[in-house]
Order: sequence, then C-alpha cells, then structure tokens
Amino acid sequence: MQALPSVNLENPHARRARAGAWLLIAPLVIWLGLFVVAPLGILVAYSLASTGELGQVEFALNFDNYVRVFDPIYLKIFGRSIAYAALTTVLCLVIGYPVAWYIARQRPVVRNRLLLLVMIPFWTSFLIRTYAWIAILRSEGLLNATLSASGAIPAIFPEPLALLYTPTAVVIGLVYAYLPFMILPIYGSAEKLDHALVEAAHDLGAGPLRVFREVIIPLTRPGIAAGMLLVFVPAIGMFAITDLMGGARVSMIGNVIHNQFTKALNYPFGAALGVVFTLLFVLSYALLQWRGRRRDRG
Amino acid sequence: MITIRNVTRRFGDFVAVNDVSLEVKAGEFITLLGPSGCGKTTLLRMLSGFESPDSGEIWIEGRDVTRLAPYRRNVNQVFQSYALFPHMTVRENIAFGLRMQKVPADEMRRRVAEAMDLVALGGYEDRLPHQLSGGQRQRVALARAIVPRPAVLLLDEPLSALDAKLRHQMQVELKRLQKRLGMTFVFVTHDQEEALTMSDRIAVFNRGRLEQLGPATEIYHRPGTAFVADFLGDANLLEAEWLAAEGDNVRVRLRGGLEIAVARAAWPGAATRAVVSVRPEKVCIAREPVAGAENGFQATITEEIFQGALDRLVVRTDAGTTFSVVVANESAMMEAFHEGERVWCGLHIDDLVVVPAA
Amino acid sequence: MNKIIRLLLVIGLAFTAVAGLQAQGKRKGTLNFYGWSEYIPQSVLDGFTAETGIKVNYETFSSGEEMLAKLLAGRGRYDLIQPSDYIAEALIQAGQLQALDLAKIPNLKNVLPEYLNMPHDPEQKFTVPYMIGTVGIVVNTEKVKEPVTGYADLFSEKHAGRIVVVDDGRELAVAALYSLGKNLNDFSPENLEAIRPILATWFGRVKLFDSDSPKTALLGGDVDLGLVWGGEAAILWNEDKKFQYVLPKEGAHMFVDLMAIPARARNVENAHLFIDYLLRPEVSKLISDEFPYTNPNGEARKLLSAEQLANPASYPKIDRKLDTFRHLGGDAGARIDALITDLKNAR
Repeated sequence: MQALPSVNLENPHARRARAGAWLLIAPLVIWLGLFVVAPLGILVAYSLASTGELGQVEFALNFDNYVRVFDPIYLKIFGRSIAYAALTTVLCLVIGYPVAWYIARQRPVVRNRLLLLVMIPFWTSFLIRTYAWIAILRSEGLLNATLSASGAIPAIFPEPLALLYTPTAVVIGLVYAYLPFMILPIYGSAEKLDHALVEAAHDLGAGPLRVFREVIIPLTRPGIAAGMLLVFVPAIGMFAITDLMGGARVSMIGNVIHNQFTKALNYPFGAALGVVFTLLFVLSYALLQWRGRRRDRG
Repeated sequence: MITIRNVTRRFGDFVAVNDVSLEVKAGEFITLLGPSGCGKTTLLRMLSGFESPDSGEIWIEGRDVTRLAPYRRNVNQVFQSYALFPHMTVRENIAFGLRMQKVPADEMRRRVAEAMDLVALGGYEDRLPHQLSGGQRQRVALARAIVPRPAVLLLDEPLSALDAKLRHQMQVELKRLQKRLGMTFVFVTHDQEEALTMSDRIAVFNRGRLEQLGPATEIYHRPGTAFVADFLGDANLLEAEWLAAEGDNVRVRLRGGLEIAVARAAWPGAATRAVVSVRPEKVCIAREPVAGAENGFQATITEEIFQGALDRLVVRTDAGTTFSVVVANESAMMEAFHEGERVWCGLHIDDLVVVPAA
Repeated sequence: MNKIIRLLLVIGLAFTAVAGLQAQGKRKGTLNFYGWSEYIPQSVLDGFTAETGIKVNYETFSSGEEMLAKLLAGRGRYDLIQPSDYIAEALIQAGQLQALDLAKIPNLKNVLPEYLNMPHDPEQKFTVPYMIGTVGIVVNTEKVKEPVTGYADLFSEKHAGRIVVVDDGRELAVAALYSLGKNLNDFSPENLEAIRPILATWFGRVKLFDSDSPKTALLGGDVDLGLVWGGEAAILWNEDKKFQYVLPKEGAHMFVDLMAIPARARNVENAHLFIDYLLRPEVSKLISDEFPYTNPNGEARKLLSAEQLANPASYPKIDRKLDTFRHLGGDAGARIDALITDLKNAR
C-alpha cells in the first residue's frame, strides 16, 4: 500500500494509473496471501490447539504448547541451532567472500562461467549431493581412500578419519549446502563496487588490507548482510543434514519440529515451536533494520 | 620532478603508449592532451601506479617508481568519477589520506579544515557524497587529493562531468590553486580549451605518441604537425605545392588553386608538398583590399553564421580555394557580412604555419 | 529421504494435494492407496491395474504416526491404508476403520493361523496381515568376534562408537524396558524414569541414529553393530553372510503391518479386490522377493527359495512367543519423545 503513489482520486487518469498499479502487484499479493499469510495463520491456529487421544488435533485456546517451548531442553536446542548456524554463516563468509570478490573482478565471459560453476550443484537434488558427501566422508570413503593411497594414513593420521556422523560432518554439510547463498549476494555487491574507489584508496596510501577493511567491506556490506541472512536463516532450521551427516545424534530445532509432525504426533507443539522460531527471526531482523537505520542517521 | 623515459605500454596488440619520453619540472602545470584512446590516461595511470610500463622507466623526485605500488608513491590523483567513498562524510573522505599516513589527530583536524577552506567547502563537513552537487563533489575530490601534500597531483579529466559554466569557473580556480600551492599538476584532458586556459606546458598525444610538447602559446601558434594544428583550435588545413622560391618566401599553390607566399624558413626541408595551416581568425576580411597583408585576394562569402560575439563565415576564392573565417562583431553599428557578398581577403605571412604533409 | 517432500506436503501443498486427490477419487475404477514407502513393488501395482483396469493412486508415508495424523485430520480420502498393529488398534478403537467383507477376500485362507486374531484385532474383523517384521541385533561378524546375544552385549562399552540404531524413540525405549525385564507396553512414569539412565548410557555409545536406511552405515563399514529392522538385516545378509541377525535374549517383539479400509473410504469394492489380490501366493511372493520381511502368507512361503527361507533376518529362529506393540493412549507418546529428545541433547 505504502509503495503506491498517492494520487488525486478526482483525476480519472490517476485513478486508472492506480488501478494499473494494483493490477501489477496483485500476483504478489495473492502469492503472499496464499503461501505466507495463510500457512502462518494455520500454524498459529495449530499452535493453540491440543492433541486428542490418538494425537489428533483438537482446536481450543490453550497456551501450554508455548509454555513447553521454554522448557530448558528446547531452549538449549534453540541455542545449539543458533550456534551451528552462526558457525556455518561465519565459515561461509570466510570461504565465500574471496570467491565472490574474485569472480566479480573477472572479465564478463569468465565471470559468467564461474557463476555457472557456483550454481551447477543446484541442478542436482540436495539429498543426492548430501549422499555424495556421505560417500566422501565415510570411514571407507573417498577421503580416507585418498589419504591412505597417498600415504597420509598412517604417515600423518594414525588411522582413518572418523568424520562422518560427527558435528564436524554436520558443519561441513551445512557450509557446503549454503555456500552459494553467501557467494551470490556478495558477488552482487562486489560487482557493483566502482573499482575507482579501490584505486582511490590505494592512491591515498592504503595498503591492500586497509583498502579491504576501510572500503571494500563497508561497501559490500549489503551483500554480506544478505548473504548472512540467506545462510543463517535456513541453516538454523535444517534437519536433513543433522540426520544424514550427523547421525541424528544431536538435534537442531529443525529436527525437533520435524519430529513433532512425523513421530511424536504432536502437531500443536511443533506448530508452537515453529511460531516461536519465526518470531525470533522477525525480531532479530527488525533489530538489525532498526540498528541499520540508526547508523544511517549517524 | 618527473622523468618519463622511453615508456611503452601495450594491451594485447594495441600500443597504448608508444616510446614516450617527457620531463616535468617542479611546480609546473602540465596537460596531457589528446583524443580518447591517445594514451594520455594510460600514461597518467602509470604515474599513479595503477599500470606498469612494459618497457621504459618513470622517476619521481629522483626515485625510480616504475614498479612501485600506488600506495607507496608520493602522488595523488583526482579521479574522473571523483571516486569519493560513499560511506564516508566529506570530512572523513578528506582525512583518509592523512589517516593512512598516521598523522596526529590535531594536525589532521587542522589540515582538513585548511583544505576545506581552500576549496570553499566549509559547512559541508558532515555531508555524505550523495548529498552534494557535482561541483561540490569535485571540490571534495580535489581537497582529498591535495591534503596529503603529494609531490605531484594527477588529474584525470576532473572537469568533464561539470556543466560549461561551472567548468570555466573551476578551470580558473584550479589554476589559482596550483599557483598558490606551488604543486606539480599533471592534468589529463581531451578539451583543448581547458588545456590552453590552464597549462604551463601542453603535451599533445596522438595514437600513443607524444606529438608535440611546449607552452600553450607555442603549441597554438606554432603547431608542429597537422594533427596538432587541427586538434588545438580551428584551422584551415590546406595542402600546398612548392612552385618557386622568391627571396625569403616560397610561392605555393593551395588545394583549389589559390597561389600564396609563405615563409621559406617555415617550409619543411626539401619536400615538394606540405600543409599550410591558417587559423580562421587570422584571415583578414574587408570590403576593400587589406593593407599590409602579403597575400591578398578576392573571394565570395558562401556561408554566414551569426554566433553572438563572433561571425563565422565560409569564403571561396576566385581560384576555387575555400576558407573558414571568424570575424569579431566589434560593434552593432558595423554592417554585417552577408552571403553572396564579394570581399577582399588578406593573409599575413607570419600567421601562416607550414607543417609536413601527412 | 522423503523427509523434505513430506514436510513440503505437510506445510505447503496440503490444500492442493487434497483438492487433487478428491477430484481423482470421483473417477470410477480407481483405488486411493496410502502405504509405507519402500514396501510394495511397482510390478504388483501394475499387475493389479492390468488385470482389473483399476488405477491405483499410491501415496506413501514413512512413519505410522504420520499416516495416523493425516488420516485423523481428515485429509485425503483413502480407500486402503497400511497401518501397523498398534496404529490399527487405535484406529479400530476410534471407529476409523470399516469392517471387512471377508467373503470378498477368499485368499485370507492363505495366511498362517498364528498371524490371525492377534491382540490388535482379536476378531479379525478390520485388518488383514501384509508383512511381519522384527527388530533385532545385526552384527558384522568379521569385525566383532565375541558373541552378541542381547542388548547388554550390543551396548557394551567395547562397542562404543560402532553402533547404529533405528531413530525411533518407542523402539529404543522398548529395548530399555526389555533390558530391565519390564513389559514392553508399560510406559508408566516410573518405568520411563527407570529406563532414563540406561538409555543415557546407550546413547553415549551410539554412532548414529537412522530409521530410513540403517544398513547403509553397516555396509559402508562406518559401524559394525546395529539394532535395526529385520527387513534391513535381511538385505544385509543377502549382500554378505557376515551380517548375522539375532533376536535379543532379553526380549524381542514383532510388528505386523496390515491392510485396512478407512471408515470414509469410497472405493470399498476396489479395496477388497486389491487386498485379495495381494494375498495371492504368486503376488505375495513378488513382494517377498523385493522386500525380505517375514511373509505371513503360508502358500506364498512355499514358493520362496531355500535361500530366502534360510535368511535369519526374514525368518529368525523363534524360541518364544514374540510380543507386539499395543496402542498406548494418553500422552505416553509425547512423554517418550520428550525423554528421547532430552537424552539426545543432554550432552
């Protein structure tokens, strides 16, 4: 609504323009209504329900599910999910930033080819790619086979690396899965950055590190922020990787929610966890925005 | 101050800068002038350190800087796009170079304030670049580049984004600033008027080569090549054929058929053909024979364009040679020339420049 | 593996899927079948369609609870479902199944009597057995030399980090109850407290939890022992005889997967036709060929090879009566889930 220009309704041209604007955003409004507002509404309704004898949902107004969300064990799992997602985000940033920067500085032909390479994994199912990692990391897998063929086992490592079904494997899986979501927005920012600014900083006596810190990082901050959000948000709710690569030994909040719908047969509690989870994001995003605006105002 | 010795830079098959040698004196305002692609910007970028020569050497303040990184050179540049840091205020932009030099805080404050005064930006300290006008941004870029007190200030077409009026004003200001600071300025432009207004010396470039180097007046009045004559100001470039020597002069036939006399000393060696360059404003035109002009002839005005202070005419001699002529409109009382009118033309031998045929 | 798809179905596509199914259900000559994933060969479905002209719309689930939830929520008009014993018991109690017309299922006579009139359906009115399975211990005998006969051996200290178990809270809790000599269907708060320290110790020694394909880690050599579905163990044995299967000596149970017709089913006639088709010996054999669970169909067993019958995981030596899961009721399921979540995340 706010995006629509305020126009004089007396003017028939303006009225037509206004109708046109509505027509243009109608698909978006419908899409948001159907796939964001409606499911969220369903989620909230479920979260206030209780379960019957067979686990069937019985609609009522009850906040027990929300009380249970704040049980220490679930708070702990929330905390762990945040920690894993944060570590994933930092690793993606550290690995993805140089890659994005490098791609952005290439000639257009090379740049497009490199971008294609970043996106090619999306052509394959996510689960197949995860199984590929399992094949690499398992104790008789590709990695250990390579290490023993090259003599690194036992020269450097006394025995095959037991990476699979450990937290390390989960982090590897998460970083792998979300790296493109970090690279692409940073690339977008880096590509738009006027190279003359980098030269100007060099010209004024800034060495490579200072240029990076003082000019490149601040000017690619929108890309970094978008990338971090795009990695952090889905990483925190991921459950397939914890199950497949972590051996389901340690739960993330996604696993707990998933469990409520498929095993524990407690839709309302799962919905309550989902609502709290969503609110957490909305709040932290609002906080970021608010801080960003305050910084802009000085 | 700056010595450029046999510098060549290629990009693939394209030779951007071709065996250029150039000396720049301390405190000099030198302009690298030429059309786009002539190599002037590449040469500037080799001075700032963003490009390295394939061969040759560059010395600044007695130090070989040929391979020195930009941030280790005592030169600063004003970029064509200004390249102001969009996330920093005017003050932060100007202080950037001093911060990199780790200048103490109070000295930094003082020097930034001085620089802001110098470019008349007081009161804009806390604005961000996008809150400034084009002219203001230009001044910030200038202040930012001079505040670290570089040995040489490089300016890459800094005025090209300004409108005509502001550009004229900045030309004057830049020249004044350069005199006041006594700093060496290397200015790149494709605008001959800018070059003529500000420069102590002009280096004219064409296709990667240095065509001519000299003071503005010399370059203007005594172009060494047809390219220079044409590029700086307007010129009637007329192919000429040697007919006969006449004492200190040579009688030549111009394209179209008109025969005139030019100074023998100006003729390039033993060539039988050359090009005579005549500035439009040097063609005297009158309703009676022009007194004191060595070459006089009659012609018909074929075109007349009123340009305010000036009248631009095209005349055709009886022999069939055409000239472009500029006449000052000194007084509204004077009757203007009009198309079809028969007039007398005069050319002083001293105003005729002869350059080698291409 | 269907987890992603499953979640998408639950969250996003619920309405569209329902609308689609309902539209399809109105056509004549269809059967809306809601069954376990990886449990029925495509050739069997195709054979039924070829013979009867009835189109089978096959939708899958991968836990009984998932199926139960969907059925109870009234989503999807299914004509035939594949509940496990205790789920069927709950459905019968809730009046969610309709009585079968046994006259239309003459092949029921092929089912061995020990798999009829079981506790979940004592009068054999609502269900027909599909396949039988057990949960037991599989051991890679090349890596593990000492005998493993029960839960105590399996979860002993020296096997720490070499164990895979099914990622199913109730199965694990039942194993712990057995190890204490308690009734497998008694999840009283006292019993749950009693098994807490046992499960805590076990979980510390488990390398991974995997319900979907526990055989994968065993085949890959990442683990050497497992508490797995009998069907998984049977496939392992077919791959390599080094994988031996035993039913734990402290106690073991079997699960019976059934065929049943929901109360709201529309194509009841077709559902009966399909049940009877599945009970034909030659059809039932096809199922056993692909999914080596215990086949309750006596006539079909006669068609199996000696090798198939010798598979210790498909047809384990049973020296006692095996228990079955009962419907728990109340919030027992939620309490088991809370306990397992708690223990998994204690570290």
